[in-house]
This record gives sequence, structure tokens and C-alpha cells, in this order.
Amino acid sequence: MDGGKVTLGRAAGLYAGAAVLRLAIFSLLPALPDLLTGRVEISTPVTSFKRLQEGLFLYNHNVSPYDGGVYHQAPLFLPLFSLLPSYATFPFLTNFLYVIVDLLSANALWKIAESGEAGASAHFTSPRREKRWSGFVIAATFLFNPFTVATCIGRSTSVFTTCAILHAVAKAVSGAPFGAMAALAFASYLSMYPLLLLPPIMLLAYDRQNPTRAIRSPLKFSLACTTTVALISAALLGMSYLLTGSWEFLAATYGVQLTLSDLTPNVGLWWYFFIEMFDSFRSFFLAVFWLHLSCYVGGLCVRIRSQPLAVITLLLGIFAIFKPYPSISDTSLFLALVPLYRHVLPLMRYSFVIAAVILYCVLLGPAFYHLWIYAGSGNANFFYAITLVWGLGQSLLVCDLMFAVLRDEWEVERPEMVGKEIRQI
Amino acid sequence: MRQPLSTLFLFFFSFLSLPLSLSLTTPDSDSQAPQDYIHAETDYQEQLHLRPLPRAALLASFSFRSNTTFSEFTSRNFRLFPRSLGQILSYANTRELHLRFNLGRWDAESWGSRPWNGAREGGTGVELWAWLVADSEAEAERKWVVLTNALSGLFCASLNFIDSTRTTRPVMSFRPEGNHNDVDPGKMHLLHGVLPHEVVCTENLTPFLKLLPCKGKAGIASLLDGHKLFDASWQSMAIDVRPICVGEDECVLQIEQTIDMVLDVDRAKRPRENPIPRPLPSHFLPCDTSKPYHSHDTCFPLDHTRNRDWSLTQVFGRPLKGACPLSNPSIPPICLHVPSSRKVFFAGVAAEQENERENIRCYHLSPEEEFNLVLPPPELPDADELDLVVPPTPPPLYAERSFTGYGQERGGVQALLHNPSKAEHVSFIYFETLPWFMRIYLHTLTARLIPNNSTTSPPKDIKVKESVDLIKKINYRPALDRARPSHLELHLTVPPLSTVQLTYTFDKTILRYTEYPPDANRGFDVPAAIITVLPDDSSDPSAPSPDSNLQPRYSLRTTTLLCSLPTPDFSMPYNVIIFTSTAIALAFGGVFNILVRRFVAADEGPVVGIAALKRRLMLRIGGLLKKLGVKA
Repeated sequence: MDGGKVTLGRAAGLYAGAAVLRLAIFSLLPALPDLLTGRVEISTPVTSFKRLQEGLFLYNHNVSPYDGGVYHQAPLFLPLFSLLPSYATFPFLTNFLYVIVDLLSANALWKIAESGEAGASAHFTSPRREKRWSGFVIAATFLFNPFTVATCIGRSTSVFTTCAILHAVAKAVSGAPFGAMAALAFASYLSMYPLLLLPPIMLLAYDRQNPTRAIRSPLKFSLACTTTVALISAALLGMSYLLTGSWEFLAATYGVQLTLSDLTPNVGLWWYFFIEMFDSFRSFFLAVFWLHLSCYVGGLCVRIRSQPLAVITLLLGIFAIFKPYPSISDTSLFLALVPLYRHVLPLMRYSFVIAAVILYCVLLGPAFYHLWIYAGSGNANFFYAITLVWGLGQSLLVCDLMFAVLRDEWEVERPEMVGKEIRQI
Repeated sequence: MRQPLSTLFLFFFSFLSLPLSLSLTTPDSDSQAPQDYIHAETDYQEQLHLRPLPRAALLASFSFRSNTTFSEFTSRNFRLFPRSLGQILSYANTRELHLRFNLGRWDAESWGSRPWNGAREGGTGVELWAWLVADSEAEAERKWVVLTNALSGLFCASLNFIDSTRTTRPVMSFRPEGNHNDVDPGKMHLLHGVLPHEVVCTENLTPFLKLLPCKGKAGIASLLDGHKLFDASWQSMAIDVRPICVGEDECVLQIEQTIDMVLDVDRAKRPRENPIPRPLPSHFLPCDTSKPYHSHDTCFPLDHTRNRDWSLTQVFGRPLKGACPLSNPSIPPICLHVPSSRKVFFAGVAAEQENERENIRCYHLSPEEEFNLVLPPPELPDADELDLVVPPTPPPLYAERSFTGYGQERGGVQALLHNPSKAEHVSFIYFETLPWFMRIYLHTLTARLIPNNSTTSPPKDIKVKESVDLIKKINYRPALDRARPSHLELHLTVPPLSTVQLTYTFDKTILRYTEYPPDANRGFDVPAAIITVLPDDSSDPSAPSPDSNLQPRYSLRTTTLLCSLPTPDFSMPYNVIIFTSTAIALAFGGVFNILVRRFVAADEGPVVGIAALKRRLMLRIGGLLKKLGVKA
């Protein structure tokens, strides 16, 4: 009873603190939001708030925003933001919406952390599970992560995707498979790539079903889940069609992600590769890059079947590196889930290197971008080099976390090997 | 010129002070009604108007016009109308064609209104717009491609590069000049394309002159020399083809070719064989004697007081070889606009007509004799500049456009539109075609009124309110990547004596490396904005409708802009492919390695290391040797 009250009080305090921090930045540093919106690390062509405003402007003036090269975001954002008062005259409500979305994400994360799924899943219980952080700490690391704060202040629409993904996981963990599928369908509708999370989230939901009304047959369960996602996605797309009056939004939103026609620099690996790619090989390499992005899903789901949440975490890390338009928002989502694995963090081998590489990129990335675009004393290779290092640093973190999770699993079979030198054959 | 006049000129001076009975279509005449264009006597006429401008400039406006009846045109009976162009037009179903080649900048502050009220000029580079007859938009586009490719060959210009990324369909800016009553308006398609990067040069002049009946061998066209034309401060070559119907007569197809150029007299007078300017000896320098430090050894040079005298041969570099025999003899081929107080001499067989009230002197020439016109230096050497030229009329609107911001990521465009009139509102269409790689944000478009009398910047709070009032109508079609440019047409009104500041922001796109031109860091040319001042056709001067069929009152173009885009490193596509692939391989390899291999303790499993490798290698070699030994 008391504990619950304390938790509630602490939660309120944490959320209030995070909200106050964001609102204070919005109101005290009024130039910062637009500055961050313009940063390529935060805003990509498919999440930029400035492009959203342009889309809204065209939508409100009866010009199709998809019949142009600027707006590549989901159609349902348009009525949502049209309901809010214009950002130019009354920005508070829009800012408040972004703060709320961040808090909702943190709340979902809290639920995931409190469920203990990371340490003890249906098929596997880690011997180290006692050593974990509470939901409070994990929500706090998410809310006060500078990447999350910068994404919120930059009003990137990727926060909506983040929120939907975290809610999908939270629903799956709490034994509500259909809620999870609905949230996942929503995330996929917004950004398309979360569709690749369907298999691990299905596994997670299957493992965590409420025993009283569980579907025991895996085939039936997966069929039900897939149907749910398909139906809800179809409903969302149908609503979008009714809203915009044509299907051209498909090419302008998902088509742009598939074909990478907008080559604006970002922290990912695609943009420079496809700037420099020979025209005749462009479609081949687009297919290869997408195949590469999706090939991890199957392997991870099979190998780490006992810990679906770990698969989701690792996949989010991989997406943050290899998706077509990544931003630090995707990294912040990955980094939000990593602390759930507090118990395996001591098993990681390169924590220092990873931290150093990430810091190095955070400091040098903006500097090199400035040298290229503004100072003119560097060229595109400067920023490209930093994005390479950023990708390598993050892939090192993904690999190391995967190693730690698997070693933790292995040590259940071989308890005598705890703390010993091992190798892989 | 330095020889005594009496020995140089063997001529007859005929100072006929006849009032001009002919309707002269001067470049400044306001009436652009098509009826004025037709002359029954002959189907060809040509005229050159010379107009000295302040600051030692000389505006020369050549116009050549010929007609052919529709029946002759359709039966391919070409006489004065150029056959090469006529065949292209009939093949591409083109009803009306306007082609412009432009260079330089018109200095409206000192030169005043543009010749022909801006109707015969385009933006820097090449501009083409045409009305095509087609059943559908797709067919119109096919015809347009045919037209641009054919014109490209005819005029030696890169018009074939006017593809869908440079073609727009303006809605409010252009009105047909001819009569198209016989065509269903739904089948008339207006297409407009600009090549701002095109450098207009001699190879465009030669085909232009070949279209003329006298081919530049006689008549005023014999003055046209590429060296002088493309050395001008501003020049514009225009071709207009339009059908014209008057009353019950058969309609005619009219082609009008005009060349307008502003020569810098000082520059044009430099001898061809020794064109390097040399400093004047100090005793020839005109000095500003009003300066307090002026003395026998100190001189503040007066600008543009020299070279107010010129002769036709000097500034054009060649003599005028008499009139073109095919042209209408009742139209004087040369007219000079100078105040009647100034003396003008001419050499050759000619008849002068003077109209003192309008300060025009025109000359009828004979086809056989060469002709020269001499404007001697003013009698009072320090006469005021404005007394020596016909004062230019101020234009209804001044416009300038520039980029704001810095860096290669994003920028802004600012257009300043100034109405100099004291009483009249000016209503106009502002039309911009921007290439697709400038992603403009229309929600940042603001129009701000800057009253002229305020010296300080205006208060910020009027911004929103004013922009609502100033912009009457927006016609916007966003750009589509690699497919079409953005098309922005604004209907604006500027109150008297005030300036409107139009601003918006845009993002610069990074392109694929094959999409950059060879000189990628030079930047990309952005076409000029086209401003069409609407006629005051209603009682309410503040709101003339852009839909009326009246010809525009005035039109002007801003200068082109140079937009620098971020560039990738062009030298290393292979390196980038290799580096990125390596990063992906490292990540994939790391994950794959961890996923498929088993964990064992460090001392379990097969031994690895140099010693173990050596032992295995020795074993293999030993086995191999043994095998070989057995065989041997």
C-alpha cells in the first residue's frame, strides 16, 4: 500500500520533472526548437517538423501535400495537427502534445521494466535477474537522455513511432496481444519499418498470454495476430485514402523510404552510399540494403527464442543503424531499452570503447557537418566518416549486448563458467 | 570624326520639319493592340529606334515584322515568313510562340522603363512559351518536346534541355497576344520553359538573322554584329509568332523579331583592332571642378561626361547598308530619340522627318546608299546629362530579388517590389519557377509592407495583417523530385510609394553525384521571377482582375540567382561503396558470428594459436610429401 503510494508519488515527480524540463526549454529558449528542427541528426525527411508544417499548410489550403517533394509523413498527422491551433501563433499546445507523447512512452517503458520480462521470461530465467534497475530509473534514463530531450524539442514526428512501439511491447508484456498488435500496426503505419518487429512481438505476446484466455496453438495465435495487424493497417490506410482522396500518399510516404529518393544527409549509412552509387546499380543495392535490414529478424528470433524482449531490443538497435532515414531518435529508443538488461551489462566486453565512440561522434558529428556545409573547409567525406563511426559504434553495442545476453543464457547450462574466460567455436 | 564636318559629309541636309503622319510603333508606345501591327502596303517592315540613355548608354531597338495569310501558310507558300520556322510551327501545332534570348541586367534606376514595356524580353538565358493545340495534356507535352527539340536545332541553343523539370503551365501571368477565337479554349495549352544557364552568343544571332527577308545583308539588320551585340550591357532577342485577325479580313500569321540592346557608348567606341582601354592623358580628363581639392594637379574624374557623342558606324562597328528593299517604304527605318535642341547629322541619301513635340527624328533611306548618323558632342560641354537625352519614364514597378542566409543547407529568397507612383496602386502577378532541388516552404511565405517614408524598420506586428491584404491570390504547385519544378504565382498589390518585401525559405537538396554538372561548385541558376503588371481595367484601381483578357500594362523580370548546393566528393564513389559495405559487413559479421557459434571455456575445444597452426601445417605437409613419395 505504502510502496504503491511512494511509487505513484515518485512517478508523478519524475513525469512532472521531465515535463517541466521540456516546457522550460520550449519557453526559455524559444530559438532552440527551430534550431534543433533544422539539425540533420534529429530531423530526417520522413520525420521533420518543418516539413510537417509545410504539409499542413498545403493540406489546409486544399493542395495535396503528397503531390510534391516535401511532405513524406503519414496522412493522419494532418488532421491531428490541424485540430491544434496554428504553431506560428500558439505553439504551446503542440509543444505540450510532444511532451505528453514522451511521458506516455516513458510510462510504457516503466511497465515493461516492472514486468521483469528482461530478467525472467517464459522460457528462461536469468540467474542474475535480481540485479536490475527499477521502472523509475529506466523511465528516468529515457526521459532525461539528451537524445530523447533533443528529439522532443526538435518536435520530430518519430516520437509518435517510438511511443507506439513502446506501447506495443508494453501491451505484449502485460498479456494483451491485441492491444500490442494494434499499437504495432499504428507504428508501422507511421514509419513502416516497425512492421519488421511483428515476429518478436508476436513471440513475446504468445509467451506472456493471460493463462485464462490463452490461444495455445502457435499457428492460430500468429494467424490471429497477423490478421489483426493487417486489418488495423488496412483501416488506417483506408482512412488515409478517404482523407487525402487518392493513393498517392503511399508513394510519397512508404515509397520514399523504399527508394530513398530524398538524399538529405542523416546519421545513417544510406544517404552517401546512394549519392555515390552508379545509376544502373541503384535499384539492386536498394534491394540489398532492405534485405539486409530485414534478414536479422529471423535469425535473432530463432537464436534468442527464449527472450523475445531481447530480440526486440537488439532489432531496435539494428534499425537505428541500418534503416533508410535514421536519427538520434531511433538511438534513443534503443538506449531506452538497453538498461532493462542491467543484469547482463557486466558481461559486456567493450563498454568503454562503445561509450567513447558514441561520445566521439556526438561531439565531432555536428562539428564536421558545420565544416562541410557552412565553413566550406571540409567536404562531404567529413560527415560521412562520422556517420560510419557512429554506425560502427552502435553495431558494436548491439553485438556486445547480444554476446552478453547469450553468455548469460549459456551460463545457466554451465554455472561453473561464471567469470571465466570463454571463446566461441 | 575628328575631320572637319564639311569634308567628311557629302550630303544633303534636309531638315524637313514635317509632322509625322505615320503611326510609329515605338518601343515605348503603350498601345499594343494588334490592329496597329498590320499594314496593307507590304507584309514586311523594319525599324530601328535609337535612344540615348543617361550615363552614356544607348538603347537600340530593332524590330522586324512580316505577315503571311493563313491560306498561304497552310499551303506552305512562304514568301516573307521564314519557311524553317513555319514548318516547325505547323508540325508542332503551335498557335503562338514566344522565344527570348537575354543577357545582362536592365538598370531600371537610371534607364527607366523597359523597351516595349517589357513585352519583348525574357529572363537571362533562354525563355520560351507557346500556346499549343492539343486534345490532352499528354499530347501537349509531346508537342512541346517536338517544338523544343526543333527550335533547339534551328537556333543552336540548348532548348532541348527544357524537359518536364523546367516546364510549367502558368495560369495568371501570360495572355495570348493573338486571336484564337477559332480554337476551342480547352484545347489551347500554354507551356513555359526557361534555361537560365544558357549563354546567349553569336551562334544564336546568325540563325536569328537568317529568318529575316534581307538576312542581315541590307536594312537595319546590317548593323547587327555579334561582337557589339553580345558586348552590350543588356540585350534581348525576341521572336513572337501570333495569329492576328482584323475585322472580316482573312487572319494572318505574324512574326515579329526584335532585338533590343543597351550599348555602353564608351565601350562600343573602342576600336575593334585595339580594344584595350588606355588611360587618358591627364589634360583630357574631365574633372569635377566643384570638389574643394580640385587644382591643376588634383582631379576628381567626372563620370560619363565624355562619350555623349557617337556615330552609327562607331557604336555598331559597321555602316548601315541602305534600306532593305523588301520593307514597307512608308515606314522610316531609323528613328532617333533625342531632344530637339540637340544637333544631329547624317551621311547618305535620306529624308528626315522630325517630330519636335515627341523628340523623335526619323529617316527614310534609299536601298543603294550607305547611311551614317552622327550625334555630335553637346554644344555646352558641361551641360546637364538629363538635358541631352529624352528623360526616361519611370517604370510602374521596381523589382529586385536576392538570396538570404548562408551555408549550403538552407536559405531564403527575398524579393523587394517597389511602387514609385505617388497615387496609384500597382497590381501584378509575381511568377516564379524554382528548380525541384530548392524545396520551398510555402508556409514561411510572408509579404511585408515597408512604407517609404519610414526610415526605421517597420513594427513587427503589422506583418501578419499586411500579408493577408497584399497577397490577393496564390497559385502554387509544389515541385516533384526529378519530375517538375515548383510553380508559384502570386497576385499582389502594392500601395503607392511603398515597398513590399516578399520572403520565404527553402532547403537545398543534395543530389546524386551524376546529377551535378561538371562545374558543380559554381552553383545552379535559378530562373528569373516574371512580374506582370496588370492593366487598370476597372474603376477600382486596387483590384484589377488577373482573369481579364487585356494585355498586361508592363512586365519585367528580376535577375537570375545562383544557388549553391552541397556537393558530395565526386572522386570517390568506389571508396564510399567499399567503406559502407565494410561497415555493414562488420556489423553483420559480428552478429552472425555471435549467433551461430557455440560458447566454450577458453581451454575447451580445439587448440588455436601459432604453435597449433604450425603443427597442423607440418602434419599436412608431411602427409602430402608422403603421398608424393609413395607415388614417386
